[in-house]
Amino acid sequence: MADNQNLLEGLVYNYTSATEPPTRDVRIEPTNAYLGSCRSLKCAMGQGCAKFNSRYFSQGVGCQLILALGIVRTFQNVVTIIHGPLGCASNNIGLAGFNKTSRALKGKPANDVIWIHTNLDESDVINGGAVKLRDAVLYAEKEYRPDVIVVGNSCVPGIIGDDIDAILEELEGQVSAKLVPVHCEGFRSRFVASGYDAAYHGLLKKLVDPPSRIESVLTGSSDEEERLARIRRENSRTVNLLNVGSTSYGDEVELSRILSSLGLKVNVLPLYGNIDEIARMGEAALNISICATHDDYLIGHLKERFGTQYVIDTLPIGIKNTNQWLRVIGEALGLVEETERLIDLETRQLLAALEPFKATLAGKTLWVGGGETRIFTTAEFFQSLGMKVLGLKPHNFDRFAVPMLDDIADPETSVAVAAGQPAEELVYLKRLKPDLYVGHGGANGWVVRLGIPTIPLYGQSQNYMGYSGAFELARKAARALLNTNLSKKIAANVTLPFKQQWYDSNPQDNIKETPGEEPTVRSSVQ
Amino acid sequence: MENSFIERAKSSCALGGAIATISSLPRSIPIVHASGGCAQTLSATYNLGSGYKGPGYCSGTMTPTSNITENNIVFGGEDRLEEQIESTLRVMDGDLYFVITGCQTEIIGDNSAEVASRFRDRPTPVIYASTPGFLGDGFRGYEAVLSSLARDFITPSTAKDKKTVNLLGLMPGQDVFYRGNLQNLVFLLNKLGIKANTFFGDGETVEKIKTYGQASYNLVFSPIHGQLASKAFEEALDIPSLTVDLPIGDTGTEAFLRQIAKTLRVPKAKLDEVIAEERAYYYSYFQRFLEIYGDLDYQRYAVVSSDINYAYPLIRFASEDLGWIPHLVVVNEEPEDEADSALYAKKFEELTASVRPKLVFEANTGQLLRHIKESWPYNHNDKYYNQLSPLFIIASSLDGSAAQKLGANFLPVSYPVTNRAVLTKGYTGYRGGLTLAEDIFSALVINR
Repeated sequence: MADNQNLLEGLVYNYTSATEPPTRDVRIEPTNAYLGSCRSLKCAMGQGCAKFNSRYFSQGVGCQLILALGIVRTFQNVVTIIHGPLGCASNNIGLAGFNKTSRALKGKPANDVIWIHTNLDESDVINGGAVKLRDAVLYAEKEYRPDVIVVGNSCVPGIIGDDIDAILEELEGQVSAKLVPVHCEGFRSRFVASGYDAAYHGLLKKLVDPPSRIESVLTGSSDEEERLARIRRENSRTVNLLNVGSTSYGDEVELSRILSSLGLKVNVLPLYGNIDEIARMGEAALNISICATHDDYLIGHLKERFGTQYVIDTLPIGIKNTNQWLRVIGEALGLVEETERLIDLETRQLLAALEPFKATLAGKTLWVGGGETRIFTTAEFFQSLGMKVLGLKPHNFDRFAVPMLDDIADPETSVAVAAGQPAEELVYLKRLKPDLYVGHGGANGWVVRLGIPTIPLYGQSQNYMGYSGAFELARKAARALLNTNLSKKIAANVTLPFKQQWYDSNPQDNIKETPGEEPTVRSSVQ
Repeated sequence: MENSFIERAKSSCALGGAIATISSLPRSIPIVHASGGCAQTLSATYNLGSGYKGPGYCSGTMTPTSNITENNIVFGGEDRLEEQIESTLRVMDGDLYFVITGCQTEIIGDNSAEVASRFRDRPTPVIYASTPGFLGDGFRGYEAVLSSLARDFITPSTAKDKKTVNLLGLMPGQDVFYRGNLQNLVFLLNKLGIKANTFFGDGETVEKIKTYGQASYNLVFSPIHGQLASKAFEEALDIPSLTVDLPIGDTGTEAFLRQIAKTLRVPKAKLDEVIAEERAYYYSYFQRFLEIYGDLDYQRYAVVSSDINYAYPLIRFASEDLGWIPHLVVVNEEPEDEADSALYAKKFEELTASVRPKLVFEANTGQLLRHIKESWPYNHNDKYYNQLSPLFIIASSLDGSAAQKLGANFLPVSYPVTNRAVLTKGYTGYRGGLTLAEDIFSALVINR
């Protein structure tokens, strides 16, 4: 496991006593403003200067509260309370049906997603919102009898200083639900990924139990010894496959299939999980991450506190990265030979199946935008099918994706590190004119308006990961290129809201390379 | 009335409403002075939740925003806002730039109005509205944006055009069918010889909007929403207002036309002619459903759960046009002024079925099921039980599971609507009434 632990080198996870973990701004020091090439970005990351960059003209970079609630909202029998005005996470409205469908697709009870706003108003800004929060918790308990009530703290109480931990502690004796405070105030972090840590911090403090240490149990009965031995053997082969918001049921089935064929028992967690499964997370033989950007805080903490082993390496999209992901797991569990046999078989079968799509895809050009680990692995896969990667746009860039820069064949390939910022990305795309764009939700529509066909980077009911995911991804891209009429028609008839002078400018001039927005102040605002 | 928490509020905040409103104005660019996630999150509320209307000309991830962070909270964000406005004017191609604010910058006391005013002399107008989320729901942002247009952008005019009206109270996004609704209203009013300014509908431009001080009336299609905006239009532009109900179908549209014809002095002969013509058209189509209605007994108990704009118009359509039993109306918001609630309740006296619906004001989405159950005697395992069935619920997509639990037919009309995709469809007027009838009967025959 020596290799993959490098990603977390120097990081510590002993923040349990704090109400909130440090934001990614200080803990990981990523950048979300860097325009250059794979080569220059690698150099900038080495020098540690990119993290200071910011922009003159800016579009929305996202809010950590949305990503934090995106995790906890999926738990079974949970009510989420947003302590704030009606707007924070009001996008739940657009996602409630999505989450309900995902529950059904994953074979979980397809209940409505329930959330409550404390609905802070002008007088609460002055007087605080403690009463409303208390009322909301009691309402949630009475109406829904949830296993868990998660309270996401927004900017308003963060600035005026409502102490949600104290309010929830007071209520703990009055409700049977577990109460989980999540500190995810948007203004505190420039990086939405801080929301993952915020949610997992709450989960780790309030929901995960210490693993039971059965090896220390002594009994005189041989039946009991045998039973414990059975459990020990079971546990030694039980792994947690840590899912993320964008893993589809198809992804979970495929990755579980692969791991099961190594003789492992797979729990898919923690999204869409129930409270008992989450409580036992520390007991598994191995926590398997599929996205370092998503999971480092969770697995780092479980290792530091309970000694639960983990692997954190690449994201299993495409052949190379699925194989690499598997090898790291095989090594961690002492299944090197079995893993190699499996990889050999799966790769051979997949390569043969991909052959027909190569004819359509080879020589075509590509741009990929979205989460850092996902876009680099996706680009690498299409590159392996003979496509040329013209550029990538990671939302942010940090240590977790640095090794992936080397997977892009041409080191001069463009990289535009930008959370959102379609204005910059569309200038790149207008100049480079890729044959296909693979993009994050919210980006594809703008790109179609520019006349470039798109496919989504992830999807609720589609398989992207593992060997079958690679096949599906190739199939999808080849299909998109069979008919590109829509993007042509749209581009001829619909305009984007930019001035010509912006199209003519160099987007790099929009980046301020001097320290300006870096986080020097923390948690002193109250 | 004191504000409480809300379970699954069917709205966003004032900033969300402002973004939805500005991005529905022609070629207008919102500039959001707030933290990095507000613009995107709040846009998504309406871009997804409103029949997939999308971001319009500029919202969603495209929204220019100052992205203020912890440093700005401590040291102030005015410089950052100035930089963002300046750069937005360089990058984004708009006919109107609208600076709006979020909670963070309002709490720390940034003077955004002053910063915006520094751009007063630019060739393209830059105006400002204060829209922190804690002001209230999405409608509050709509009010703020329209009020700023009246006070700071539209040219006041003493020369009024007697036959021109401004349409207010239909908020883009919060009214899922606003484009189609406005289109139908323009069509109807044109038939009476009246020109209607929609702000958000077909053929609008910022240049045209500047001249809307010449209108002689504001028609406000809501008892409470658009009222602050209409007040601004009255004060700044000297345009009086007339509050009307959203006209849906034969009964509603005739009442609407007669109400406005009186105020706008439309000759009676002209009015009668238009009503007769549209009504003949309406029934020439409507009668096509009579066979299936009669043969399959498609009379239903009707329950409406919606915002205040749609609640009475929908139950009136069910009761007066479809001949359904108007059973229960759950309004998903409560007017701040109790007098408004009482006035709203009075409308229901005009319904002519033998029973009047029960009216409830309830903002918590999860309570719909309870209100329906409490509205009817409980089944004590009686041999003969007079059930609340067959039942049809017209509500929002968040209410679908309540309908499912009750075995009711269901059509989402009021925001949010996430299980239908909407482009030109609207429910106003005679023609909109036919569209609503199509959608309701489609929901009834969906399994055939």
